[in-house]
Amino acid sequence: MDEKSIGFKERLRRITLKILKATIKAALLYGVYFVLSMFLAPISDVVPGFQQMVETFVTVYLFLMILGEITSGTVFQHFFGAAKALFVILYLIFSLNGGVITLYFQGAQLMVDIRLFLMVAILLSLLGFAKSVLQAINFLNEKAQMESLKF
Amino acid sequence: MKISIKMISIATTFLWLFLITFCVSVAYSIKDVQFNFEEPNVSVTKKNELLFSLPISIFNKGYYNIDSFNLTTKVLDRESFTLACQSTFVPVIEKNKRTIVNHTVTVNFNDLLQNSQDYLFNDTELKLYMIVGMKLADVIPVQVSTNLSLPWGAPLYNFTIGKIRYGVDNATRVKATIPISFENHAPFDLNGTVKIKIYNNNDVFLGDGETSIEAPQGSSYQDYVEVSVKNAETISDSGRLEVYIQTSLFSYGPMVISYG
Repeated sequence: MDEKSIGFKERLRRITLKILKATIKAALLYGVYFVLSMFLAPISDVVPGFQQMVETFVTVYLFLMILGEITSGTVFQHFFGAAKALFVILYLIFSLNGGVITLYFQGAQLMVDIRLFLMVAILLSLLGFAKSVLQAINFLNEKAQMESLKF
Repeated sequence: MKISIKMISIATTFLWLFLITFCVSVAYSIKDVQFNFEEPNVSVTKKNELLFSLPISIFNKGYYNIDSFNLTTKVLDRESFTLACQSTFVPVIEKNKRTIVNHTVTVNFNDLLQNSQDYLFNDTELKLYMIVGMKLADVIPVQVSTNLSLPWGAPLYNFTIGKIRYGVDNATRVKATIPISFENHAPFDLNGTVKIKIYNNNDVFLGDGETSIEAPQGSSYQDYVEVSVKNAETISDSGRLEVYIQTSLFSYGPMVISYG
C-alpha cells in the first residue's frame, strides 16, 4: 500500500505495533541483562566501575535498538543498525583499554591480555556494520525498483 | 542480496554466541582453580647457599588447561639490589588434575653481606617481588604481580663481647677469657668458629684464641674465647679486639671492637 494513501488509523496501528515490538525486544534484552548481572555481581566487587560500565552499554544499546525498531520499514532502521555496530566497536576498545586490562586488588596487580578476544569482537561488529550497510543498499535498491515499476 | 544478508546475520549470531559462551566459561573456569601455597622450607645447599623452597599445589577444576605457568621470584635487599631471581615453569597444568610445583630460590649469603653487614647483626626485611604468569584456555595471558616484604632474622643478633677476665694460665702466661653471646634469628643453623685477636692500647698483638660455635635457629648462644697472652706486662686496661667469624655460609671479619 502507498504510504500516502494509508489513513490515520492505519498509521497509528503501525506505529503502535512498532512501539510494542520495540518494547518487547527491549524488555527481553533487559531481562537477559538482569539475569547476567546477577552472575556478574562478584566481578563488580573486584572491578571498580564495572557495573556502571555495563549499565552505560546496555542503556545506549537499548536506546539504539528501540530507535531502530521504531524506524523499521525506513532506511533509518539500517542507519541505527550501523550506529549500534560502531558503538559496540568503540565501546569495546575504550572500556577494555585496548585489550590489556590492569587491575589492582589487595596489593597485587592483575593484568589480563584479551586482545585476541577484542580483535574477534571488533571483527564481528564490523561484520554487523557491513550487514547494516548491505541492508541499507538493498532497501534503497528495492525502493528504487518499486518506484520505477510505478512509472 | 537478501540471502547473503541472511547468511551474514546467522554467521554473526553464531559467532557472537560462541564468543560470549567461551568468555563466560573461561571466567568460570578461573574461579575453579585452586592455588595452595604450602609452608616454605629453608635449607643450605652444597654450595653453601640459602635455599628457599616453596611448594605450590595447583588443582585445576576448570574446563580448560592452564598453559605456560611461570612463577618468577626476585629477592631484593633494602637498597633494591637483586640478591636472587629464579623462575619455575610448568608447560601445562591439565584440567581436573592436581599439579605440585616446587619453586626454589637460592640466595648467596655473601652477596647479601657485600651490600650491608647489617644483615648479620640486625633483624630487617627483604623485598620480594613475585610474578605469576599463565595462559588461560590457550589464548588469554594473565599475569599477577605483587610486592611482599620478607622478614630477615640476623644470625648474630645482639652479638656482644663481655668484660675480659684475666687469670693465670701457667707460670709464664696469662689467660684472657672473653665472653661472647648472640641470638641466632636466622632461618638456618649456625655452625663455625669465632676467632678473637687482642691488641693493647699501643697496638701490640697480645694473642689470639678460637672457639667453635653451634647455634641452632632461634636459639641463644653464650660461650667464651680463651686467649693465651705470652707477656703479661703488655696487657693494658684498654685496647681493641679483632673478631673473625667463619661459618659454612659466610666469613666475616675483622670486626674491630674496643675494650676498656
